[in-house]
Amino acid sequence: MSDDIAIKTEDLTKAYRSFFGRKKVLALNKLNIVVRKGEIFGLLGPNGSGKTTTLKLLLGLLFPTEGRAYVLGKATDDVTVKSRIGFLPEESCFYRFLNADETLDFYGQLFRIPGKERKLRTDRLLKRVGLEFARKRHLKQYSKGMLRRIGIAQALINDPGLIILDEPTSGLDPIGTRETKDLILELKSQGKTVLLCSHLLSDVQDICDSVAIIDKGELQISGTIGELLANKDIVELLIRNLSKETLAEVERFIQEKQGEVVSIKNSSGTLEDLFLKIYAANISNSKTDV
Amino acid sequence: MQQILVIAKQTFKEAVRNKILFILITLGVITICCSVFMPVVGEGREKLKIVESMCFRSITFFGTLAAILLSASSIPTDIDNKVLCTITAKPVQRANIIFGKIIGFVYIIGVLLLIMGSVSYALIRYTALRQNSQDSHGLLIREQFDPVDLQITGDSARNIGNVSWIEGGKGASVWKFRGLSSKDRKDDLEIEANFLIEGRKRSIGTIPVKIKVINPYSARVLTESMEVSQNKPLLLRLNGKSLDGSEELTIVISPGKSGDFLGIRADSLRIFWGGKGFGCNYLKGLTIISTQFLLIVVIAVLGSTFLSLPVNILFCLFVFFCGNITDFMRDLSTVINVIETREHEHAISGVMRESNVFLVCLNNIIKKPILLLSYILPDFRYFSVGKYFVDGINIPCKRIFMSFGYAVLYALVCLPISFLVFKRKEIA
Repeated sequence: MSDDIAIKTEDLTKAYRSFFGRKKVLALNKLNIVVRKGEIFGLLGPNGSGKTTTLKLLLGLLFPTEGRAYVLGKATDDVTVKSRIGFLPEESCFYRFLNADETLDFYGQLFRIPGKERKLRTDRLLKRVGLEFARKRHLKQYSKGMLRRIGIAQALINDPGLIILDEPTSGLDPIGTRETKDLILELKSQGKTVLLCSHLLSDVQDICDSVAIIDKGELQISGTIGELLANKDIVELLIRNLSKETLAEVERFIQEKQGEVVSIKNSSGTLEDLFLKIYAANISNSKTDV
Repeated sequence: MQQILVIAKQTFKEAVRNKILFILITLGVITICCSVFMPVVGEGREKLKIVESMCFRSITFFGTLAAILLSASSIPTDIDNKVLCTITAKPVQRANIIFGKIIGFVYIIGVLLLIMGSVSYALIRYTALRQNSQDSHGLLIREQFDPVDLQITGDSARNIGNVSWIEGGKGASVWKFRGLSSKDRKDDLEIEANFLIEGRKRSIGTIPVKIKVINPYSARVLTESMEVSQNKPLLLRLNGKSLDGSEELTIVISPGKSGDFLGIRADSLRIFWGGKGFGCNYLKGLTIISTQFLLIVVIAVLGSTFLSLPVNILFCLFVFFCGNITDFMRDLSTVINVIETREHEHAISGVMRESNVFLVCLNNIIKKPILLLSYILPDFRYFSVGKYFVDGINIPCKRIFMSFGYAVLYALVCLPISFLVFKRKEIA
C-alpha cells in the first residue's frame, strides 16, 4: 500500500445476519474507496446508506463479511493502529456521571498519555471546543451541542494523524457548526487526515477535498469536489459595482460571440453567513455596552 | 496493566456515582441491624444464632445481588449507551476491558464486604456481650472432626446413590476418627449423627440403634442404646478425659431391630471438640463468601459478553439457584432411577413409591440433561459457610483453599470463553 494512502478498502462488504445466521441486511456491498493522507474526505449518503457501518468497519468495531480494509497501512483488526486514530461517534455517548475533565482524562489514560501531558491536552482541548466554563459539570447536565463538543475533544486527545468523524455537526447550532468546520480545516492545515460522514451536503461541500457518495450500501460515485461539481460548459462571473448600462453591453457582447446568457441576478449570501453576521454584530454591541 | 486499572477505576466510580453501591450497602446494613430486634424463642445462644445467621444471610444476599446486578449489567449497558463504542475505538485490547471490569467489581464487592462485614462483626460481638451473663460460651467456635474411614460390615443392604442402607441385625457401620485434639482436653466431646431411617411400618418416627465408642489406645468401650429420628440429629456427649490422651476413636453404629433400616452417608457422623476464637473464624467465612462473589462476577461477565441485560440477569440467577442445589439435581436423577427400577423400596419415601407417570417422563426426557447440568454448573455448596456460624463450628483452612481453588479453576475456564466471545463481538 502506498505511503500517502491513509485508508483503503477492497470490496468491503458487510451483511448483518439474523439469529439463525441467515443474511438479513446487506449494509455494505463491495465498497472500494481510497482516502489520501492530509485530505478531508467526505462520505455522503442518505440515512441507512451504510456510512456509519463503513466507519465502524474501519475502526474494527464491526467485522467485514467479505473484503478488506486498511487504515494507516495496517489491517483494521490491528489494535495498535488505533493509537493514531481519533473517533467521534454519531451519538456522543460517554459516561454521564463524569465531568468534562474526567472524561478527557479517562480517554487520555486509555491512550497511555502521561499525567502531565494529559492535563495540558485537556486544558487546551476544552478551551478549543469552548467548554472551559463547564469543565467540572457532569455530562448528564450537558446539552446535545455540548456533548458533541466534548466528543470532538476526546477524539483529539491523542493528537491523532487520522480523525474519523461521524456526523460532526449534528446537534450543533450554526456557530458551533462553523467552529467545527473551522476546526476541521485547521486539522487539515496541520497535515492530519479527516474522514467524515454526513448527510448535510453544504457542510461537506464547504470543507471536503474529496467525497464518495454511497446509497443502499453501494458506492455511487467518488472523486474530488472540483471534479465532481465542475460544469465545464457554464462560466460564472462575479462582478461588483456594475451599472445597468454596462451590464446590458456585456450581455449584448456575449450574444454577439454566440454565447448564451443563462441567468443574470444579484449575488446572494447563504443563511449561515447572515446568521453569523448578526451574531457577530450582537457580540460587538454587547462589548460596546459594557 | 494501566488500561485494566483505568477501566477498573471507572467501573468502581460508576457504581459509586450511580448510587447502586450506596443503596445496596444501606439496605444491607439496615437488614443486619434489624436482626437485633428479631423476636427469639429460647434463650442465650439462640439469640446469638439468629443474629449470626441474619448477618451472614444479609451479607450473602446483598453481596450476591450486587455481584449479579452490577457485573451482569455493566457491559450490556455500555453497549446500549454506546460508551463501549468509544472505548473499543481506542487502542484497548478487548480482554483488558473484561479484566478491568472484573477488577472493578472486585473493588466494589470488597467495599461492600468491608462495610457490611464490620457492621456485622460489631453487632455479633455486641449481642454476645449482652448475652454473656446468660451464656458464657456465646462465641465459642468448636472444632469439627470428620471420619477418616467408614466401613460397612456384615450383610448390608445395597447402596443407592450416596446412601448405604444397613438392616438391623445384619450389618453395622464402623467409623474411625483420627487426629482428635483440643486445647483443653477437659472439654466435652460431642458426637453428632444424621441418619436416614426406614422401618417395617412405613410411618415410622424413630428406630433404636446401638452405639459403641471404642478407644483403641486404652481399649475402653462405651456402649449406648439410643433412638434415631428421621429429621433430628442424634447427639452423644462424652467427657474429653475419656480419650485417655488418645487422638483416635472408633465408633460402631447399627440398627437395633431386624427389619429396621439405617441410611448412612459418608458425612453422617461428626465429632465436635474444643473451642477457638470467633474473629479468625469470621474472617475465614468472609474470605470464602468473597470467593463466591468473585465466581458470580466471572460468570455474570461471561454472560454479559453474549446476552442482553435482562436475559443475563436471569441467566445469573438461574446459575446461582441451580448451583446451590446441584446435590438435589443429582439426587433427583437418582430418585428417578429408583422409581424406574423399583428395587429398593426402603430407600425412598412413601409418596414416591407409587407409579408416577410424570416422574417416568422426567426420567426419559430430562434425567441426563439435569445430571449434565449439575456437573457443568458451578457448585456453590463449596462456599456455603452459614452452617459453620450458626452451629459455631471452626472453618477448616482446607475449606478456604478448596473454595478458592474451585473458584479459580472455574474462572480459568470461564475467562478464556469470555475473551473469545467478546473479541468476536460486534459493537454496533
